[in-house]
Amino acid sequence: MFNLALSLFVVGFIALGVRRPFLWVLAYLYIDIVAPQKITYAILPSLQISLVAFIAAFGGWLLADDKRNSRFSLRQTLMLVLLVYCGISTMSADFPVEALAKWGWVWKALLFAIFLPLTLRTRLRIEATALVMVLGAATIIISGSIKTVLGGGGYGSLHLLVNDNTGLYEGSIISTVAIAVIPVVVWVARHGTIFPSDWRVKLFAAALVFACLLMPIGTQARTGLLCIGLLAILSLRTAKRRFLYVTLMAVAAFAAIPFLPESYTKRMSTIENHAADESASTRVAVWAWTMDYVKDHPFGGGFDAYRQNKLSYQTKSADVAGNNTAVAVADVQDKARAYHSSYFEMLGEQGWPGLAVWLWLQLLGLWQMERLRSRWNKRAAEHPGDAAFAWQSPLANALQQTQLIYLAGSLFVGIAFQPFVLMLIGLQCGLWSYLRRIDSPQRPSAIRPRRAPIVNAVAAS
Amino acid sequence: MIDYLAIALTHGLLALAAWRLLQRDDLDSEPGDAEPARSAAKQGPRV
Repeated sequence: MFNLALSLFVVGFIALGVRRPFLWVLAYLYIDIVAPQKITYAILPSLQISLVAFIAAFGGWLLADDKRNSRFSLRQTLMLVLLVYCGISTMSADFPVEALAKWGWVWKALLFAIFLPLTLRTRLRIEATALVMVLGAATIIISGSIKTVLGGGGYGSLHLLVNDNTGLYEGSIISTVAIAVIPVVVWVARHGTIFPSDWRVKLFAAALVFACLLMPIGTQARTGLLCIGLLAILSLRTAKRRFLYVTLMAVAAFAAIPFLPESYTKRMSTIENHAADESASTRVAVWAWTMDYVKDHPFGGGFDAYRQNKLSYQTKSADVAGNNTAVAVADVQDKARAYHSSYFEMLGEQGWPGLAVWLWLQLLGLWQMERLRSRWNKRAAEHPGDAAFAWQSPLANALQQTQLIYLAGSLFVGIAFQPFVLMLIGLQCGLWSYLRRIDSPQRPSAIRPRRAPIVNAVAAS
Repeated sequence: MIDYLAIALTHGLLALAAWRLLQRDDLDSEPGDAEPARSAAKQGPRV
């Protein structure tokens, strides 16, 4: 019954695209985030629905969509360069078979992120993209957070909808993405027109934000805690009453500590005492290995080049009993450890040029969102109380915060090509192109409904 | 059970959102979009 309902939902979603082809783009976003073909094994896996949605989305745009206002931005070009570069590095990879497996999903994610902005020609499309991404991630986050509350959490043991540690279903990745997506959740709840802001929308958004905050606790991923801290600092920038806000946050943090499971506080304390922790020590050793590796291989070793590393390092742990402190040193041998950092993932796999293009893509996004934010803040100030000017700056701000949290999480998680994040970059590119277009002097009527200027003109006369 | 609840909730909202999007004209075009083409058409072909 459940399998049938989910299959019907997916087929129905794709069928609706016949009337409005843009829904195929949304259907692809949904399928790529939630992976319904992995949840139900009844009908969907045999249909290759991800491929069907991709072809439908691209074909619908190519054949039926208005392309006059589509622009190819610099960041899309950077992603295209990255795509070609990764393709070449895959052909000469150190581990051709493994590299090809990763290339198999990376090229799709990059290609879709390049394509997505071309379809984002209207405000409603931008909003719908943000909404589908939020609800897609919410499917995983809500179930994970309820299980956390009921006591099912633990590092590597929280069972998400799909238990195969791929895509968003991996603990560290979902806890980073769950925190990163919070600013977008808040924006959708405040400025959405598909679900206009009312008490039900606000209640759902508040519950979802709470669920997002629970994910790092449920998965016991330390990176998530770092991301929560950064989110708290970033939200100070737009908070109206900062002192009250800081006080409330401090109270909430202290109030939460007694409710956290002991295993969680224990694991978090290893952030401070990282020398005793094997997982943290491995990272440092892998990063040192990567720096060494690129001295001889400045163009990287292709995807999964980390498989050749052999590491030996020491962990130190101090055992304090009364006045005596016993320091235990353990030698650890390890090999084929993953990068556990997007920056080192890019450096080791794609070399200095790959890392440079990736960083350019990221930093340019931060800068573009900052420009949009300040420009549309001014527009909003020029038109106080006008809803037509109220949504742009907050969305740019939310997407900038999301990216900053992702970049912070990326320090300790290898998610350089995470499809969800590439979709967010696509959304940023779409917003950038759209706002530049409607802000041009020839196009004032696109900002507000056509009636509005006439009303203003009458009022002025 | 928890999984079913989460899926039912978010998929219900996704279905409602898709249905509402179908009814909205501003999904595919906005007021400013048609104007340049229309005014160009009024001016007639460029010589």
